Amino acid sequence: MILSRFAGLAALVALLALDASGAHAQQMQKVTVGLLKLSSSGAVMIAREKGYFREQGLDADLKFFTAAQQVPVAVTSGDADFGVTGLTAGFYNLAGRGALKIIGAQSREEKGYQLNAYMVTNKAAEGGFANLKDFAGKRLAITTTGSTFHYSIGILAAKYGFDVKSVTLVPLQSLPNMAAAFKGAQVDATIAPVTVARQLEAEGAGKIIGWVGDETPWQLGALFTSPKLITEKRATVEKFVRAYAKGARDYHLAFNARDKGQEVRGPGYDEAIALLAKSLEQPVERVRVGLPYVDPEARLNVGDVYNQVAFWQSVALVDRTVDAKAILDLSFVKGHFNLPK
Amino acid sequence: MELIVQGISHRYGDIVALDGIDLEVREGETLALIGPSGCGKSTLLGIMGGILAPSAGSVLVRGAVPAGSLNPQTYIFQDFALLPWRTVEGNIALALEHHGLPAAECQARIADVLARTGLAEFRQAFPKQLSGGMRQRVGIARALAVKPAILLMDEPLSALDAQTRELLMEDFLALWLRERITAVYVTHNLQEALRLADRVCVLSRRPGRVREIVSIDMPQAERVTPAAQAHLAGLHDRLWRLIKAEAQVAEREVVDV
Amino acid sequence: MSEARPVTFRGGGFVVVPKKGAALVAFVGLIALWEVSVRFGWISPIFLPSPTSVVEAFWELAVSGTLWLHIGQSLKRLLGGWTLGTVGGLALGFAIGVWSLSRAVGLPLVSALFPIPKIALLPLLILWLGIGETSKVATIALGVFFPTVIATFSAIDGVPRNLIRMGQSFNLPAADVLRKIVLPGALPGILAGFRITASIGLILLVSAEMIGAEHGIGAFILQAGNLMQTDQLLAGVVMLSVLGLLIGTGLNRLERRLLRWR
Repeated sequence: MILSRFAGLAALVALLALDASGAHAQQMQKVTVGLLKLSSSGAVMIAREKGYFREQGLDADLKFFTAAQQVPVAVTSGDADFGVTGLTAGFYNLAGRGALKIIGAQSREEKGYQLNAYMVTNKAAEGGFANLKDFAGKRLAITTTGSTFHYSIGILAAKYGFDVKSVTLVPLQSLPNMAAAFKGAQVDATIAPVTVARQLEAEGAGKIIGWVGDETPWQLGALFTSPKLITEKRATVEKFVRAYAKGARDYHLAFNARDKGQEVRGPGYDEAIALLAKSLEQPVERVRVGLPYVDPEARLNVGDVYNQVAFWQSVALVDRTVDAKAILDLSFVKGHFNLPK
Repeated sequence: MELIVQGISHRYGDIVALDGIDLEVREGETLALIGPSGCGKSTLLGIMGGILAPSAGSVLVRGAVPAGSLNPQTYIFQDFALLPWRTVEGNIALALEHHGLPAAECQARIADVLARTGLAEFRQAFPKQLSGGMRQRVGIARALAVKPAILLMDEPLSALDAQTRELLMEDFLALWLRERITAVYVTHNLQEALRLADRVCVLSRRPGRVREIVSIDMPQAERVTPAAQAHLAGLHDRLWRLIKAEAQVAEREVVDV
Repeated sequence: MSEARPVTFRGGGFVVVPKKGAALVAFVGLIALWEVSVRFGWISPIFLPSPTSVVEAFWELAVSGTLWLHIGQSLKRLLGGWTLGTVGGLALGFAIGVWSLSRAVGLPLVSALFPIPKIALLPLLILWLGIGETSKVATIALGVFFPTVIATFSAIDGVPRNLIRMGQSFNLPAADVLRKIVLPGALPGILAGFRITASIGLILLVSAEMIGAEHGIGAFILQAGNLMQTDQLLAGVVMLSVLGLLIGTGLNRLERRLLRWR
């Protein structure tokens, strides 16, 4: 089903490309991208659907995975040439062994973009847990140790000056488990993606007391590849990043426009949302909710990557020998910001 | 004690295994039940001891239960039916434990039957360590331990090899002659019947009916003498003629039960 | 007359002969090959860390003392869950094996519920039992329960009927028939079931400790996997297999003791 849909689409795109650039289309170079079926990877999907990879002479094959940590593993093993996914402690451990290099940005937590919510259970709220400063001594459900949720509480602790070690982290391995523990008030709080958070709130299980993007903007995800591909086929990587950045620009224009904090539909919104809905195999209404912020030029918040590595090392989840500088290759995208001195 | 079988019929589905059996087992006698395979002799024995419910008819006992008898109708099984996880002693004890006897009496009964069956030195052995003959001796010892009034024996020697069978048969006889326990002995072996029984009841096959009851008017002790051989040979022929035709049919039949 | 010829031997083979130490040599050889492959760079340590690095990870755990914490927590859950599942499974297995009514009701129920993957029930278990020890123990107990039921009633079905008839012919009360004939007769089958359920318990340890466990071998393996710490991951797996080996040896002893008569 999925395959045939892709095949049909590929044929259509190929036809268009052939029409546009003639013989050029025949030397398409095949590249594989590992990603999750999440709108945070929307830039890749848009670039593919709109034929931006074709323009660069690349035949991009999207390989969907079900868990974030599978993507860097796939790039390490050579099953995928590129990967786009969230940055976790596991990612840094793998990258630190020289298997991966970050070359561009995926989505990020940004002020005004409601992506992940801090939630407290009704019981905890009755007990006076209403403020983000109150996390110390509480039990917080997360998916896994070393996940993006784990980092989110880490930087929140830094912001509000409580000790992250005073928060009891309860890793439950999956969002359904996490939601169940929250509903049963087995924990005091959780950090949940917007769709889960809204649903928990609608069911009356607890309430949202803040958004990660508003409190602590950070570089949630990245585009990465293997050092081998960079040295051996630098041109391919450059082409890929060009197409990817074009997709990111479209995404940004369509979805990230805001007017006085309110979401407004940017140029190309309808087309882009339809493309995403198709790639994600989800109804448009569902895709509309919680579209994350994506940098229009795939620029990284470099300082935050350094900060992430330092945080994971401070809680002994990433090896001391891992060097943030060594896992970044900033030469493919211009204008990365927040560069450390 | 005497055992009276009145109008016993038994069916397995459509097959009439036993049909209107009337039989009396007299005090102190050994009655052999013979017949071709499939004549229902084991079924009849099961009904006689109350471990099978007949389709029709009834089984009665007459006479006082002898003093100290814990289980008036006691079986000895073809396959010995010993518990492999219990020692010789334990297997005998199984038949006594639930009667709430004083421990000393239990021990005395066990020691007594072990001595009578020549098993004293195998007291602690497990069944798998014993030969077939020894295992059946345990079966006999277990039966004797409850001081039965009527022994019900279902081909007790047929799982044994010929030599063991001879030896055990002599032991049986010695026991019989001493104890004179009323006994029903199911067998398909005519020699066994002629050696042990006072009367032989020949059953017919499908439906199982009493065909003839043959008395052997000769004390068991005399039956080994050369003089007795001619008489016994005559009886053997007579019994064989009674069952030969049906045995042939039985032999050619495809087993479907 | 022709000359006598010797008869050539053509039997032999096809007999299992115990080869002592062969397993050990193969085991050591395999580990040596593994180490060498990593050392010489035939296998990247990213994909498969060397045995020495696994031992190192193990050593660090042992020295820091967390090893015993992990093992202790897991053993507690394993023991609790296994005991609970086994007691329940034996009870239902006995009921199904002995009474026709409970068999008619219980058998289809067991067939319907057995194949449900316990991991799929985790969110429900969390809702019902919370994220404390109860739900972890329950996960293991559930996994152990059904195979125990099946092993028990199959073992009872395998008890020779003639032994039961024998018991009845000596007027043994029903309770005695069960206690002295059915139970010991079913014991070999039940013990074989224990072997399987002990392994199932170990396997489910990882699922159980998905439920917010801070310590435990399963939690340790999960975290190592999430963090891509492959050497620690393997150290955790080694812990599980050693535990499995120890439990297996214990069961062997128990079997030899209880089934001396075989």
